[in-house]
Amino acid sequence: MFLPIGGVELSTLPQQLVDGLLLGFIYALIALGYTMVYGVLKLINFAHGEVFMIGAYCALFTSWALGYIPNNTLGAGQWWMLIVMLVASMVGCGLLGMTIERFAYRPLRNQPRIASLITAIGLSLLLQYGGQIFLPLNQNIDSKINPAAGAFTIALGGGKAVDTATLKNTLQQKQAAFDEYLKRTKADPFNLDADGKKIRSEAQAAERDLKNAADTGKGTTLVIPYGKVIAMIATIFLMMGLTYLVMYTKRGRAMRAVSHDFDAASLMGINVNSIVTFTFLLGSVMAGAGAMMVATFYAGAKIDTFFGMVFGVKAFVAAVLGGIGNIPGAVLGGLLMGLTEGLVSWLGFTAYKDAVAFVVLIVVLLLRPGGLLGSAKVEKV
Amino acid sequence: MKGFWPVRLGSIGLAIVGAFLIDQLSRGNDFTQRLVVLAALYVTLAVSLNLINGITGQFSMGHAAFYMVGAYTAAISTLFHPDLAAKNPLLWLLGMMVFGAVMAGFAGLLVGVPSLRLRGDYLAIVTLGFGEIVRIVANNVKFGTKGGSYGFSVDVHVTAVWLAWLFAFFAIAICRNLLSTARGLTFLAVREDETASLAMGVNVTQTKVTAFVIGAALAGGAGAILAHFEGFASSNMFTMDVSFIIVTMVVLGGTGSITGAVVAAVLLFFVPEKMRDLPDMPIGGITAFFILTGLVVAALRYVSQHYHGAASRKAMLYSGVVVLGIVIAAILGVALNAIPAVKAVPLVEGAKLRLVVFAVTLIVLMLLRPQGIFGKSEFSWDWFRRLGKKSEAVLS
Amino acid sequence: MSLLQLKEATIRFGGLTAVNAVSFEIQPGQLFGLIGPNGAGKTTCFNLITGVYKPTSGDILFEGQPIAGTPPNKIASRGICRTFQNIRLFKSMSVLENVVTAGFLRHKTSLLSSLLYTPAVIKETKELEAEAMQLLKAVSLDHVAHVCSADLSYGMQRRLEIARAMATQPKLLLLDEPAAGMNPQEKQDLNGMVRNIREQFGLTVLLIEHDMRFVMSLCEQIVVLDHGEEIAQGGPDEIRNDPKVIAAYLGEPA
Repeated sequence: MFLPIGGVELSTLPQQLVDGLLLGFIYALIALGYTMVYGVLKLINFAHGEVFMIGAYCALFTSWALGYIPNNTLGAGQWWMLIVMLVASMVGCGLLGMTIERFAYRPLRNQPRIASLITAIGLSLLLQYGGQIFLPLNQNIDSKINPAAGAFTIALGGGKAVDTATLKNTLQQKQAAFDEYLKRTKADPFNLDADGKKIRSEAQAAERDLKNAADTGKGTTLVIPYGKVIAMIATIFLMMGLTYLVMYTKRGRAMRAVSHDFDAASLMGINVNSIVTFTFLLGSVMAGAGAMMVATFYAGAKIDTFFGMVFGVKAFVAAVLGGIGNIPGAVLGGLLMGLTEGLVSWLGFTAYKDAVAFVVLIVVLLLRPGGLLGSAKVEKV
Repeated sequence: MKGFWPVRLGSIGLAIVGAFLIDQLSRGNDFTQRLVVLAALYVTLAVSLNLINGITGQFSMGHAAFYMVGAYTAAISTLFHPDLAAKNPLLWLLGMMVFGAVMAGFAGLLVGVPSLRLRGDYLAIVTLGFGEIVRIVANNVKFGTKGGSYGFSVDVHVTAVWLAWLFAFFAIAICRNLLSTARGLTFLAVREDETASLAMGVNVTQTKVTAFVIGAALAGGAGAILAHFEGFASSNMFTMDVSFIIVTMVVLGGTGSITGAVVAAVLLFFVPEKMRDLPDMPIGGITAFFILTGLVVAALRYVSQHYHGAASRKAMLYSGVVVLGIVIAAILGVALNAIPAVKAVPLVEGAKLRLVVFAVTLIVLMLLRPQGIFGKSEFSWDWFRRLGKKSEAVLS
Repeated sequence: MSLLQLKEATIRFGGLTAVNAVSFEIQPGQLFGLIGPNGAGKTTCFNLITGVYKPTSGDILFEGQPIAGTPPNKIASRGICRTFQNIRLFKSMSVLENVVTAGFLRHKTSLLSSLLYTPAVIKETKELEAEAMQLLKAVSLDHVAHVCSADLSYGMQRRLEIARAMATQPKLLLLDEPAAGMNPQEKQDLNGMVRNIREQFGLTVLLIEHDMRFVMSLCEQIVVLDHGEEIAQGGPDEIRNDPKVIAAYLGEPA
């Protein structure tokens, strides 16, 4: 079913796309914070990625409090532990977001917006580098705390009988040749001459061929860890909750009013300050949830004070892509971003992954200056 | 034009003498020399970004990319023509500055064109993205075994402090000249109101692109100097942070003020660099410093908003608050360190505090003076005249 | 030959026809009025003439040449300049600088000479400043030449807009509600000022205004728009007695 075309392995495409989509949900969750804050204050909250980072630390500390300190001997965790961690990082981030708004952004609200922007950059640097003084670095949340450790394995078929015996034979011959070479020349295996390198690379090529053949024989399988699925489901629930809050509650209506016209909303008796604080709270809570999920379910996520940088930038691009200030746009942007990344990795341009995100953004903005779902404001003359 | 040539030649002479004076003073210590060169480059960068951001009002956040284009142009050219470069390094560097400026100017043209369609935040984001794209592409550029994420080594070193400063003075002069002419006013007009500028016949497209090209070209020239001074150019020297720092210099100095850009560039460059020499510090002291900084800022804001007395009294009040803050911070620091648990924490390296102090300076300055140090005003000799008059008045 | 001619100029925004087949001609030297109730399409008409919008259909001729769809700055350099209903000054600049900026259009010293600040550029700047001072005198703002334009009073800002537009040395000056927000005395002064400017600089003036007395006393020819349609055209007396105009302003008689 899946055949390699022009050096690109089609069989890995489904896995990359699914991974990308799952990651896209996380991007979307963080992008919501950027977009909502921009909606009400027209401010790019550069510190949002750092709020996300603090969320990861909240989850980490909670996991420690639950006994999952480094090198513990505990067994698998309980479901309630995950929920406690989620709540802890959501609360932690919510408080941080509100504090930042109150003490860093509110005093500058009547000043040119660039002043808030610079303050946001300053806060981001402060949390990154100040955090290095006060926070433990290079930590991992023990993956044992996740009770659902397995993964869905879905066979997509496409397996093909391959004669591995010949390849195995070749590999053995090449390896033997290399061993013999080493024995003969007493060369340092880490410092080979040209001949040695040639023999070694032949052996390596044979090994690769065998592995590829074995993979082809197995056919295409999708591996989706339970944790990532849990994260996706939780994200969807959170987004539904947010939609309800924004679209069907009084506060949500006030929020939308403020984002349409800040001054008019305050003249209509809306307590603008409390709405702005509420917006920061909501956005930061979403970031907290995202942080906990990345830190817990994504294997190899090392937590340090720069944890939020990559996710922050990606989510920010996603928010702009969808049309900053537009909530459905942020979700769309996040998912697109994830899928694009999957696609780019699949094509083998992993080194250019981050650049492609920006290329997509620039192309979209040039075609639609307000983002995918946003509309560029036309100034009245 | 009476008096034109004496003034012009005088200023050029002054710039040359100034540049060589700085060169002489920084001699003897490699570290100082490096700082002085980098300071000049940052001045150039801030002034050139000020032309785009401050004067023309096009919010660009990818200035490091132009800097990098200049540096990489020089590095790669040197890689391909090492003999030519080694023959007369200084002449080569001058050539590279021009070539780097041309290439960066070309990049500026590339970025300037989208600026015609995008405004405000969207433009900021696109320029930021452009910066990242250029950096990531550069990170993957390889010629044979050279290049990649380690960058290129530039084997022709040129340690010319005077040249870096002369170039900085050149950038300042160009921007100042432009602003003194009617053409310069059209740049300001584009910042103030595009629609009205168009209606008055200003070619907004051309103005914006011109600003981008000149700003980028100056940054490119600075990049070439950097590459030959450091002896290498790699993409991690030009991350998003560098762009942010340059934007910060422009805003902190006062958006649109050339004087502000220069002062802020020197200040923001030297303050963190000096922090490298800080001794290791106990964590209690650092905590006290953070807490008291917050409180002092809050108090200063309160004073500025609620005290409406004479300016001199107000200034005394300000300094009182600051002194009180320092005293309390010292007491609190000592007190915190008396707690055994706090005392047990190992000392924090002074160097680690470098960017923290940078960030705090940024936030504090913005909270206390959002319009930037110089607002929109420029340095002029009138200040001294006025100061003189004031002191005369006091004396009589 | 007429200076400006609109031929069936039409513009639609989606389903809304803001200006529908409007035609009129302005002769050189005329003081021409464009009136109509709110939302009649007067400012849109201005935007069509000055190139802010491109007409959906129809033609606009300036000195016999079609200008529809030309960029605003090109139209300005051909000799049409305007003021804005919601004042659009270059706020952070001084009064003098506002006018000098507009005057620069006619002086094309090269960019390089500006960057090098050559004697020619210095001379040009001086000349522009002198010209600007003349214009400021004409609108009696010379005493505040070095004040920041945002600090001026409303009436002064309107006059500054006129001076700024004049600095481009237009053949046709478009004034968008120049008397809005002025008291009777200021309006009286403005009336004199507009006449004065026309005499002194040999201009043609097209203006939008709501104040009937002001328009009737100033303009020689008037076009009335309502709901994007042209409903009447003629001298002040004809317009005053036109039943359609009365209906548009006061409603249909019962």
